[in-house]
Amino acid sequence: MSEIYDIGYRHYDGPRLGRGHTTRALTVHSLRGVFGLGRPARSKLVPFSLAAIMVLPAIVSIAIMALMRREGMSYSGFAVIMQAVLAIFLASQAPTVVAPDLRFRVLPLYLSRPVTITEYVGAKVVAMTVALYALIAVPLTLMFAGELLVDLPGPPRTKEYLGAMLTGLLLAVLLAAFGLAIASLTPRRGLGVASVIALYLLASASVPIMYSTLLSAGDEDAARWAWLINPFWLVDAVQVWVFGTTPNSEGGYPDGPVSFVIVVLLIAAAVAALALRYRKAASR
Amino acid sequence: MHILDTEGLTKRFPTVTALDGLTVTTGPGVTGLVGANGAGKSTLIKILLGLLPPTAGGARVLGLDVTTRGADIRRLVGYMPEHECLPPDVSATELVVHLARMSGLPRTAARERAADVLRHVGLAEERYRPIGGYSTGMKQRVKLAQALVHDPKLILLDEPTNGLDPRGRDEMLTLIRRIGAEFGISVLVTSHLLGELERVCDHVIVIDAGRLLRSSAIGEFTQATRSVTVEVDEGTQALADRLAELGHGVAPHGRMLLVEVTGPDTLDAIRDATADLGLCLIRLERGRQRIEDVFKETAGV
Ligand SMILES: Nc1ncnc2c1ncn2[C@@H]1O[C@H](COP(=O)(O)OP(=O)(O)OP(=O)(O)O)[C@@H](O)[C@H]1O
Ligand SMILES: [Mg+2]
Repeated sequence: MSEIYDIGYRHYDGPRLGRGHTTRALTVHSLRGVFGLGRPARSKLVPFSLAAIMVLPAIVSIAIMALMRREGMSYSGFAVIMQAVLAIFLASQAPTVVAPDLRFRVLPLYLSRPVTITEYVGAKVVAMTVALYALIAVPLTLMFAGELLVDLPGPPRTKEYLGAMLTGLLLAVLLAAFGLAIASLTPRRGLGVASVIALYLLASASVPIMYSTLLSAGDEDAARWAWLINPFWLVDAVQVWVFGTTPNSEGGYPDGPVSFVIVVLLIAAAVAALALRYRKAASR
Repeated sequence: MHILDTEGLTKRFPTVTALDGLTVTTGPGVTGLVGANGAGKSTLIKILLGLLPPTAGGARVLGLDVTTRGADIRRLVGYMPEHECLPPDVSATELVVHLARMSGLPRTAARERAADVLRHVGLAEERYRPIGGYSTGMKQRVKLAQALVHDPKLILLDEPTNGLDPRGRDEMLTLIRRIGAEFGISVLVTSHLLGELERVCDHVIVIDAGRLLRSSAIGEFTQATRSVTVEVDEGTQALADRLAELGHGVAPHGRMLLVEVTGPDTLDAIRDATADLGLCLIRLERGRQRIEDVFKETAGV
C-alpha cells in the first residue's frame, strides 16, 4: 500500500551560483545536445558515426606507421582531407544547437532568468566549437601518440602536430560561428541542415572551377585566391602562413596574413549576425 | 514593502502606445492584472522583468528598479509566458532541472527542486515522458513549474488559464491561490476575465488601452462581479421590467441581461420571474463577464 504524503512547500535557501556557473552549465548542456547525449539513440547515430569516420584515418595511419615503418598521414593536411565529414557534421548538428529554442520559443524562459543574450549565444558557439574541435583534435592526437609509440626513425613531427592542433581550433571557431549563424536564420531544422550543406557545396564546387578558369586565363596569382573561398583551404592558408607547412592546395595560396585577416573578419561577421538574430528573437 | 510599483510608466511602440502613464502599487499576495486583448498586460510584465525598457516613467519590483537592476530582479522572480514555450522532445523533469540550473541552482539542488515543484503542480509519472505528448493542461503546469523551481519571491503569470477547459481552469486557479497563500510567494496573474480572478486574488488592477482603470483590494470589486448573465429566448424586456419591479439591479447587455446578485433570493427571483412569464431560459451564468463590460456599467458610479 502506498501513501501519498503532502509535506507542503519547502523554500530553497541553498546557494545561488553566478553567471560563470549558468553559462558553463548551458555550454555543457548544448554540447551534450550536439552529440545526442541524454536523447534517444537515434539522435546519437549521426554525430557518433561521423566522429568514428574521423578517427578511421588515424587508425589506418597508425597501422601504416607500425607495419610499414614509414610516415603516416600528414597532420597539417588532416582537416582539408576530412573536410566533407566535418561539413556534414556541422550541417547536421548546428541546427540541433540553435533551432529548437527559436522554433519552440524557449528563449524567454532563459532571458527571464539571470542569463543574458550574450551568454546564451556565447555558450552555443563554444559548445559547437568544442564539438568540432574534438572531431579534429582527437584523431590528430591519436596519430601523434601512435607516432611516438611506434618510434619511427627520425624525430617525431611535434611541430607539425601542434600547428595542426592550433589551426584546427581556428577552423572549429570559424565553422561553429558560421554554421550557427546560418542555422539560426531558420527555425526549421531540416532547412538549417540543407542551408549549411548547400553553402559548403557551393564553396567547394566553385573553387576548382574558378581556379582552372583563372589559371587557363594565365592569371596564376588571381587563381590562388580562389582557394580562399572554401573555409577549409582558407584556414589551411593560415597554417601555411604561420607554421610554414606544405599547402594542401594546387599552386599554393596568396602570400602573407591576408587569409588570417579574412578568417577573423568572417568570424566577427558570423558572431555579429548571431547577435542580431538573437536580439530580434528576444524582442518578440 | 511594495511587491511592485510603477510611476507614470509609459511604453510606446512605433504604432501604438501599449502603456500610458501607469501609476500603480501592489503589496504581497495574489494580484490580478485584468484587461482586454492589447490592454498592455504582457508589455507590463516584460517591463517588470527588465526585458523591455520603458519609454517614460519607471517601475520597481521588490524595491529594485527595472532599468538598472534587471538581472537582480530576474534572480528573484519567476515568469510564465502566455505563449507556448516548451520544447517537445525533452521530458518535463529534464527541462525543469535545466532551467533551475539556469537560475543558478547547483545540480543536486536543481534535481530536488524540480521534483518538488513538479509534484506541487500535480505532474506525476508523465513528467518523465517527452512534453510533446502532453495535454494543454499538463503543458501549463510545466510552464508554472519552471517559474517556481528556483523558489522566487514573486511570480509573473501571463494568462495561465489560457486554453484550459473549465476544470483545468479551476485547478490552475486553485494552484495559484495555494502559491500565494501556502507557499508564501507573491503572484501577479493576468487574465481577460475579472470573474475568474475574483476567487484567487487579494488585489486587482484593471487596465484598458494601457491606462489604469482601477486598482483596489478584491472586496471592493465583488460588487461589480457579483452579477449573473441571464439569457432568455424571447421577452428579455418583460423579464427586465419584472426584475426591476422586484427591486433588482438589472442592466441590458446585448441580447442578455446582467442582474446584480444580492443574495440567494436573486437567483430564485430570476427563476420565478422566467417561469411566471413563461419564458424559455437559455443561460444563467455568473462571474464570467468580460471585465470591460462590467466596468462600463460601474465606472460611472
Ligand atoms: N514588440 C512590439 N512591437 C510593437 N507593438 C507591440 C509589441 N508588443 C506589443 N505591442 C502592442 O502593444 C499593445 C499591448 O500589447 P500587450 O501584448 O501588452 O497586450 P496584452 O494585454 O498582453 O494583450 P493579450 O491579452 O492579447 O495578451 C498591443 O496593441 C500590441 O499590438
Ligand atoms: Mg498578453
